Amino acid sequence: MKERSSLQVTLHVWHALFMREATARMSGDRLGWTWMLLEPIAHISIMIAVREFMGRIRFIPGADFIPFLIVGIMGFFVFRDAANRSMLAINSNSGLFAYRQVHPVDTIIVRSALEGTLKTIVFVLMVLGAAFLGMQIIPSDPLKVMVCWLVLWLLGFGLGLIFSVIATLVQEAEKVIRMLMFPLYFLSGVIIPVQFMPYSVQQYLLYNPIMHSIESMRYGFFQSYRSIEGIELLYPISFALVMICLGLMLQIRLKMKLMTQ
Amino acid sequence: MFGIDAANSPENEVDDAMIEVQDLYKRYHGPFGGDWVLKDVNFTIPQGVSVGLVGRNGAGKSTLLKLLARMDMPDKGRIITDSKISWPIGLKGGFQGSMTGRQNVKFVARIHGGDDRMHQIIDSVQDFAEIGKAFDQPVKTYSSGMKSRLAFGLSLAFDFDVYISDEATAVGDTAFKEKAKKAFRDRVGKSSLIMVSHSVGILKDLCQAGIWLHKGQAIWYDKLTDALKDYEKSISK
Repeated sequence: MKERSSLQVTLHVWHALFMREATARMSGDRLGWTWMLLEPIAHISIMIAVREFMGRIRFIPGADFIPFLIVGIMGFFVFRDAANRSMLAINSNSGLFAYRQVHPVDTIIVRSALEGTLKTIVFVLMVLGAAFLGMQIIPSDPLKVMVCWLVLWLLGFGLGLIFSVIATLVQEAEKVIRMLMFPLYFLSGVIIPVQFMPYSVQQYLLYNPIMHSIESMRYGFFQSYRSIEGIELLYPISFALVMICLGLMLQIRLKMKLMTQ
Repeated sequence: MFGIDAANSPENEVDDAMIEVQDLYKRYHGPFGGDWVLKDVNFTIPQGVSVGLVGRNGAGKSTLLKLLARMDMPDKGRIITDSKISWPIGLKGGFQGSMTGRQNVKFVARIHGGDDRMHQIIDSVQDFAEIGKAFDQPVKTYSSGMKSRLAFGLSLAFDFDVYISDEATAVGDTAFKEKAKKAFRDRVGKSSLIMVSHSVGILKDLCQAGIWLHKGQAIWYDKLTDALKDYEKSISK
């Protein structure tokens, strides 16, 4: 075997893990690919149905309801699934740490990357599909959309790095974290537009970086969209970077504990 | 700073040392506390020597092997080596059940940078494992013997300076055991072996030197037979 530099070794490991995770994801259950596309569509359909049957039809300034929903739900999903999937990466790959080239953090990086790739494909397909059906969903500022999408993924990745440490060292934590994702869903303006929340509540919601990213992404999609005062992208970007740094620090500090858990 | 230093450490003065273990301490923390499994372990394995590890159950043989394979970190002390050391031969934990034998082999080949000689690696594993069509079926459908065959073949597909074996020859049927022993014998001269086995025959067959693990200490013997003698004396008491 020829000598490889550390960077080469890491790239080889990422490649190998990526192929492995991708095959496992695709062939894991019979629906595989179909489900990946079907789940968000089903989710969005249910939400539309809920609104039609129960909710008052409310006017969202500057956006149609269905495109508004698609952007919000997919934006939240890329964050949520990157975080949730990474959380279990160490536990489900613990057998691999026998090969000393594989570090716990590699499994998280690869899982988040795979999740991001899959969600991006699904998102593009959904936007194209919705546009084909005649909805107003072609982004007016595609670059902004891409940045916001990336930020949402980075938030998921950063929290995934931290969650995975917690969930690996304290098994019970996984359930609590999963449960906390649910209220977050409602507090991020995914289905309930933040514009309709009381002003006093909005002030607290502005602490939520996911809400900032989703609203920014809607600005990128819909030219005349009006959200609440105080939405900015710099806040979630800084938040994500801080989480990633903190997560990587934990991964380095607790590496041996995570490996032998 | 303690830990494992790769090549070029200034302490690595002795040229003919393959692996140098210095002041190694290891214990497992956990809800049940734990005494030192290894306590101040020191030894040097000369270049090209195969070593048999003996000691009673729980003496720390597997722990020492794990430390040598760098699957775990010592609490104190260091292991100095510039040899390429294998993962424990026959390790099955790395297999993903829903993937086929071939896919699992590909994975391990990839992390070892074997992309360009993938065919060669796959062929050699297939030849050794002799599991036929099952090679393209999910690993979760394998029997434990088949898994062992695959795992063993996989370890041998890569060239290491030192192979680590923790009872790897104890699994499988007689034919497999013979094949495994032969594979080890073929490598004598090219690579060394550090092995744990409760079968004295295999140890005597493959190893020259011995280490007796006793009460957290490691005692080095240039001749394996001496190690076995002392070990047997201690259990007959």
